[in-house]
Amino acid sequence: MIKVTIDGRDIEVKEETTILNAARELGIKIPTLCYSEFLEPYAVCRICLCEVVRGKRSRLVTACNYPLRDASVSILTNSARVRNLRKLNLELLLAQAPAAKIVQDLAAEYGVTKTRFPIKNPDEKCILCGLCVQVCENLVGAGAIGFSSRGSKREVSTPWGVEPETCILCGACAHFCPTGHIVMTEEADERILHSELTLGPNAAISIPFRQAIPNVPRIDVEHCIHFKTGGCELCSKVCPKDCIDYQMKDEIEDIDVGAIVVATGFQDFDPTPLKQYGYGKYANVLSSIEFEQMNNAASPTGGAIVLENGEEPRSVAILHCIGSRDENNHKYCSRVCCMYALKFAHLIKEKTTAEVYQLYIDMRAFGKGYEEFYHRLLEEGVNVIRGKGAEIAPIGGKFGEEGLLVRCEDTLISKFREIPVDMVVLCTALEARDDSADLARKLNISKGADGWFIEAHPKLAPVSTTTDGVFLAGVCQGPKDIPDAVAQGTAAAGQAMKLMTVGELFLDAAYAAITDEICSGCRICNGLCPYNAISFLEDKKVSEVNAAMCKACGTCAAACPSGAITARHFTDDQIYAQIEAIFA
Amino acid sequence: MPYRANMMVCAGTGCVSNHSLELKQALEEEIQKRGLTDEVQVVPTGCNGFCGAGPIVVVQPDGIFYQLLKVKDIPYLVEEHLLKGRPVPRLMYVPPEEKTPIPKMNDIGFFKGQMLVALRNRGMIDPENIDDYIARDGYRSLAKVLTTMTPDEVIGVIKASGLRGRGGGGFPTGIKWESCKKAEGDIKYVICNADEGDPGAFMDRSIIEGDPHSVLEGMAIGAYAIGVSQGYIYVRIEYPLAIQRFRIALKQARDYGLLGDNIFGTGFSFDVDIRRGAGAFVCGESTALMASVEGRPGEPRAKYIHTVEHGLWNRPTCLNNVETWATVPVIILRGVEWFTSIGTGDVSQNPWGGSKGTKVFSLAGKINNTGLVEVPMGITLREMIYDVGGGIPKGRKFKAVQTGGPSGGFLPTELLDLQVDYEQLTEAGSMMGSGGMVVMDEDNCMVDMAKYFLTFTQDESCGKCTPCREGTLQMLEILKRICEGKGVPEDIQLLEDLSHFVIDASLCALGGSAPNPVLTSLRYFRDEYITHIRDKKCPAHICRDLNVYTIDPELCLVKGHGCGVCRRQCPDSAIVGEKNQVHNIDQELCKKCGVCLDVCKFDAVKVA
Repeated sequence: MIKVTIDGRDIEVKEETTILNAARELGIKIPTLCYSEFLEPYAVCRICLCEVVRGKRSRLVTACNYPLRDASVSILTNSARVRNLRKLNLELLLAQAPAAKIVQDLAAEYGVTKTRFPIKNPDEKCILCGLCVQVCENLVGAGAIGFSSRGSKREVSTPWGVEPETCILCGACAHFCPTGHIVMTEEADERILHSELTLGPNAAISIPFRQAIPNVPRIDVEHCIHFKTGGCELCSKVCPKDCIDYQMKDEIEDIDVGAIVVATGFQDFDPTPLKQYGYGKYANVLSSIEFEQMNNAASPTGGAIVLENGEEPRSVAILHCIGSRDENNHKYCSRVCCMYALKFAHLIKEKTTAEVYQLYIDMRAFGKGYEEFYHRLLEEGVNVIRGKGAEIAPIGGKFGEEGLLVRCEDTLISKFREIPVDMVVLCTALEARDDSADLARKLNISKGADGWFIEAHPKLAPVSTTTDGVFLAGVCQGPKDIPDAVAQGTAAAGQAMKLMTVGELFLDAAYAAITDEICSGCRICNGLCPYNAISFLEDKKVSEVNAAMCKACGTCAAACPSGAITARHFTDDQIYAQIEAIFA
Repeated sequence: MPYRANMMVCAGTGCVSNHSLELKQALEEEIQKRGLTDEVQVVPTGCNGFCGAGPIVVVQPDGIFYQLLKVKDIPYLVEEHLLKGRPVPRLMYVPPEEKTPIPKMNDIGFFKGQMLVALRNRGMIDPENIDDYIARDGYRSLAKVLTTMTPDEVIGVIKASGLRGRGGGGFPTGIKWESCKKAEGDIKYVICNADEGDPGAFMDRSIIEGDPHSVLEGMAIGAYAIGVSQGYIYVRIEYPLAIQRFRIALKQARDYGLLGDNIFGTGFSFDVDIRRGAGAFVCGESTALMASVEGRPGEPRAKYIHTVEHGLWNRPTCLNNVETWATVPVIILRGVEWFTSIGTGDVSQNPWGGSKGTKVFSLAGKINNTGLVEVPMGITLREMIYDVGGGIPKGRKFKAVQTGGPSGGFLPTELLDLQVDYEQLTEAGSMMGSGGMVVMDEDNCMVDMAKYFLTFTQDESCGKCTPCREGTLQMLEILKRICEGKGVPEDIQLLEDLSHFVIDASLCALGGSAPNPVLTSLRYFRDEYITHIRDKKCPAHICRDLNVYTIDPELCLVKGHGCGVCRRQCPDSAIVGEKNQVHNIDQELCKKCGVCLDVCKFDAVKVA
């Protein structure tokens, strides 16, 4: 540590600290144009020149890169000499880049409003500070731009002035440019720059959404400069805790467990193939999950209900049973839509002055307090029409930008109705995940024709499956709302806990056993076992039954050509004896 | 068998462009024809420095100096001198304004005042033959250093000698070596800066072309002292002959085991590579040079962290100029006492206390003996210009001399008795620089000269930092304005302010010195600026836009009889007049080209 004096104030700093950093610690402002804390000082704008006084000798140095090594120096950051140099410097810059706002502002600060020198180009903004070039080369690592020509002809350009192959369109140069000389533009509708690098919501590093668990940022590898060029690493430079790890990768881990709770949920029904509703074609036709997202306070609209043009809708239609209770799609009822549709209506009423139409087949408000909620909504003035929405047509504009027409049959009054609305919400069905068949096979559990996993018994074992230790929770077993899903999840967890707390497994006395000496190793039983309980031992060349998994169905025993498998407590002798006893 | 006579044909760039190689061929053919092949040897040498007199042939051992030779002179020269033993006076040097030729090289004023250290082998050896160099004590210093001295002793000798960087900065060489040796790092480098860029300066080129081994030997000695095994020579590509001579020298030295592994069996290994520069002036600046060697754009960086600690590829690097390296072996061989006996001041306590040894200068401009000279430090400008340089041509009056290249200052008549050393030149507002010396006479306009040199430095500014890029540009604009008669009185103050700003605020020494010509011309020749601005006149009639051409009617009519040559030659038809009548210049049409002045045989055209 050394002690130096800056503008008459003492400060103790580490050796090799630059004047600029020491001054900043003291809260003394030294103007800079070409300096960035993320880059090696380039020291070319010379605006940060300061006087270093040692005894009677004074020397001019650039504050951004002059390392303090000597205790006996005092530094003047704003002496008359320094100010005069800065003024002249700014006057020259005003002549060179008159359109650069940062120069105009700084010059005004120093009382320079006009330049005495001839102006070459009144629109020039570039002050040749080199930040863009430095960033591109040293931070991004692309090296796509550089300086060409020398002296007063010097300019920032790409090699030979053509589009450089090495440019990754990261926009870092534009971001660092202090004068706005470099700008990114969008070409032919193709968005080539979003406001990256601000570590904001669209940056290549961000927290995916507000409620994300764990609630930490993650790097979007596809857009991260570091993963394109190996450079940048700005995030790790600013992270005070050294948390950024570029080596981190997705990993597949093997975990040994004694119980599995399947809670894979559902997927949203895609209404696009139902052309009559024009989802994906008309501007203001939304799926229920999209509408839900719009209502989230963290959504791009900030929770406001707005049309695509940003205006508030005057009327909204909510169409129930899109994909559910439908002969052509899912015959089952998705169970949750009626209630969330009512919730939507409530939200719309609360946030806007829009008219709301509910188009339903049957209003299924079966839960605790649900019916009351329905009645409350009716009192709030929600229009309910008993009849499924049949078709949506645009009123004006090719894509219904100016309004939509909902066609339906009101079965209560037996009339065909056309309702003009601004926005339509489709209550799409819950459906089993595409990969549910895969999972069922892996876990050896069953799945119904509609895709939902089947429980061991609908009344007596609603969370168990046919495979011991595998339990079901939530919508993967069948559509249900949140309270039901939570209840089932709790039950499944309890079942799993039950297995674990006991610490040992009680087996049925009856299970199949293979006599090694007789087993020929033909492996016929392996494939036949419905519970995957039989495996082949490569070393002994015989098959073996896992007693914990065996359900004593006897399939293997019946199929074994050598008669090596016996079902314990159901041996042939025992069965014959029982038959004899019956007929005796 | 030794030869009776050696014909030393100058093969320096100046003489080669004046056909000295054809001369050499003609000489050889003639000698063969006369059957003198066994008696007379023709030796191509490096530059003799007296380039204005080229092509030059010196006949050794007598030292008879022949100048301005042509191929057709050869048969006569061979017959007279070599066969009949009669030197040929008509091919000898005759001092200006005199009639008697001077036969011997060392009697000629140009050579008499010189003291050859860096140029010790000038004209004496074939630069492409290492044996010639060795015969003149070449590589003896290296042998001495490697076999009898420790690195610290070598540094001690160089420090005590007071040798200072000959490239311009004048930094004490020994101290540089010492800090580089002390700097942390396993791998270090030495670099020879041969990026000579001053217009008119060619001392480095001359040394390389005439005596490349002296540089290599100096580098090897430095490398041993600092602890370096790799050196680089940075030569600009405009010096093809220098590059070629270096290549040959490197090969020969490697073949002789004087470079490479285990030199002289001492375990010391050192080799040198050539790096060619594209010829940017700023690449003579050490950090820009290193950037260029590394393959990056040749731009300087701030030197708060010294290159001896973090230089080439961030490793400790010792960079010296060609002349400095070439001087090192002589100091080792002849000792500190001898070296310190030459020059000014006292360096025994403080290495900045004086300027020791000799310095090579290139004399150019309005001087009789243009060329390269090596003189002891402390010689006065007067001795340099009038004794060595032979004075100003046509008896004109001396006005100023610029020292140190395009960024050097102009020194006026009052300072003619100034001793040439680092401190005194700096104090006078100029600098030693690399040793350029441009003499100006009364016909030179100082504003124009300042403009001329600033045009060069402004053009060579790399543009990295604002003061040098924009400052020199605006200074030049102002100077142009003044020369065009558009100057305003405030311009002088603005020029001064800008000059100080550029010097104070620039990133490297290019900007730090570029305003010197402007500042010194303002300091010593301020009245010329005032005349330009206030009276819109150029006293030397150089700034054409300020000239007014008129025709003296009496001279035109009486002496010229209205010959009409000016009228016919005038490209703008600005001259009117009938034949045998007085002619007149229409000032409206006159574009001030000055052709009329040149063509009038009767001095009737006047300029004011």
